[in-house]
Amino acid sequence: MANAWKIARKSNAQLPLVIVIALAIVLVLLGKAQSGLFDQARARVTDWMAPALVKVRAPIQGFDRFVGSITEIFSVYEQNLKLKEENARLRQWRNVATVLQTRVSRYQTLLHAVPDPKLNAVLAQVIGRASRPFLQTMVLDAGKQHKAMPGQAVVDARGMIGRIYLTGQRTSWVILLTDLNSRIPVTIASAAGGSGNIQAMMTGDNTAMPVLDIVSRLTTLHSGDQVVSSGDGGLLPAGLPIGTVVEDGSGGWRVALLADPASSQDVEILNFSQPPEALPPGAQLPAEAAGLKPMVTPPPPVAVAPPPPKPVVVARPAALPPDAQSEETAE
Amino acid sequence: MAALERPGSSAALRIFGALVPLFCGLLGVFIANIPVSILGGAVPPPLLGLVPIYFWCLVRPDLMTPAAALTIGIAEDIASGGPPGVWTLAFVLTYALVARQRDSFAGLSGLVAVVGFGAAASITCASAYFTIAALYWHFPPLAPILSELAMTVLFYVPTVYVAGMIHHRLVGASRSDI
Repeated sequence: MANAWKIARKSNAQLPLVIVIALAIVLVLLGKAQSGLFDQARARVTDWMAPALVKVRAPIQGFDRFVGSITEIFSVYEQNLKLKEENARLRQWRNVATVLQTRVSRYQTLLHAVPDPKLNAVLAQVIGRASRPFLQTMVLDAGKQHKAMPGQAVVDARGMIGRIYLTGQRTSWVILLTDLNSRIPVTIASAAGGSGNIQAMMTGDNTAMPVLDIVSRLTTLHSGDQVVSSGDGGLLPAGLPIGTVVEDGSGGWRVALLADPASSQDVEILNFSQPPEALPPGAQLPAEAAGLKPMVTPPPPVAVAPPPPKPVVVARPAALPPDAQSEETAE
Repeated sequence: MAALERPGSSAALRIFGALVPLFCGLLGVFIANIPVSILGGAVPPPLLGLVPIYFWCLVRPDLMTPAAALTIGIAEDIASGGPPGVWTLAFVLTYALVARQRDSFAGLSGLVAVVGFGAAASITCASAYFTIAALYWHFPPLAPILSELAMTVLFYVPTVYVAGMIHHRLVGASRSDI
């Protein structure tokens, strides 16, 4: 038996090295063509590990806090001063925001504005994190059972963290905004309020601050400009807070993220699916609303005698208020 | 009866012993890729799956075969969540290098042995880095892959100590039979 085993091992000489290397290269190319090659296996493994991850989550979190507190203990005094100053500033801003909110509400009432649709959200906990050289991800305890789907945005109390790219039955993998594979269309609102909104693409490169690729080269950015999701493509809702613009020192621009994926524990998965924009009914078209007759395509000319000329009728708004009509009649 | 059972059980033991290096590699991959980040993700996990490949490629190349290295690499790709095939190619290329220079690597001892493993791990990380650069058509930042390399070398000594113990207890016994 020992001989047979020995012969078998030798005769297989196992796969020759060249073939194995070729197989590995084929796998790389196959993975490039079909990036979700291992997704099912990954999702199943994570689903299987989920209960254990939930159990070890608390001690790991405690250890992280302990280590974090050791490093921060020397800067407590400075941080306290900074926080007090920031708190005073934020109180002023809260008053401004309250006044502006009241004003916006009044305008909305006057304009009969339709409020933005509320987003459905699933609350999830972070049960795992992985920071690999080519992948920065976190694992959530919500999956297909909770209606989590790939592409949905993941946010915490401060801002957007990333989006889901793989869902199992009970778990989801989140691709962070800092990841090499992350590309998000964003809108940059100038803090100075000068040049309006700028469209850009935010690309992760595995550093803490993703890169901004400005679509238009004629625009100028300023440090401190606000970055929010643009909603282009319909995958993400528009206006999700992401971060602020910072200069990277080499002429480029990066985004200092508001959210901190390393410390986020409870997050929301936003269930956003933009419905296709429907055409308004005829009565709501701007021309109709203005009281004008919609333009109708004229029928093909028929060889008949021209009709007698009719008196010219000036179009008039049909829905004028009674007093306005009476004024017009009086004139 | 006992005499009849002995050959079968010893063959099963040998098969088990032959599969131990592969299992150790898979276990290393599994442990390294548990998505639990201590220190807030500041440091990446080490490539624990690489240590059994290196160790048994030197000690028992008949048990750590190219196919086993390929399997461990695929497991690393599945568990790490990165682009498919990157770590597979990196592991297989490292295996090829170590297999070609087996005599040189096997003769190292002490701190120099760690340096030898560091060289092998550098090949792994460099392969993965350049594969990613080719896939994405730009060079990713160097710091994360260097951290990965440093962590892998740092964890080499305890991991190879465990691998050595496993080898002596489970694999080494059947060494003379093959």
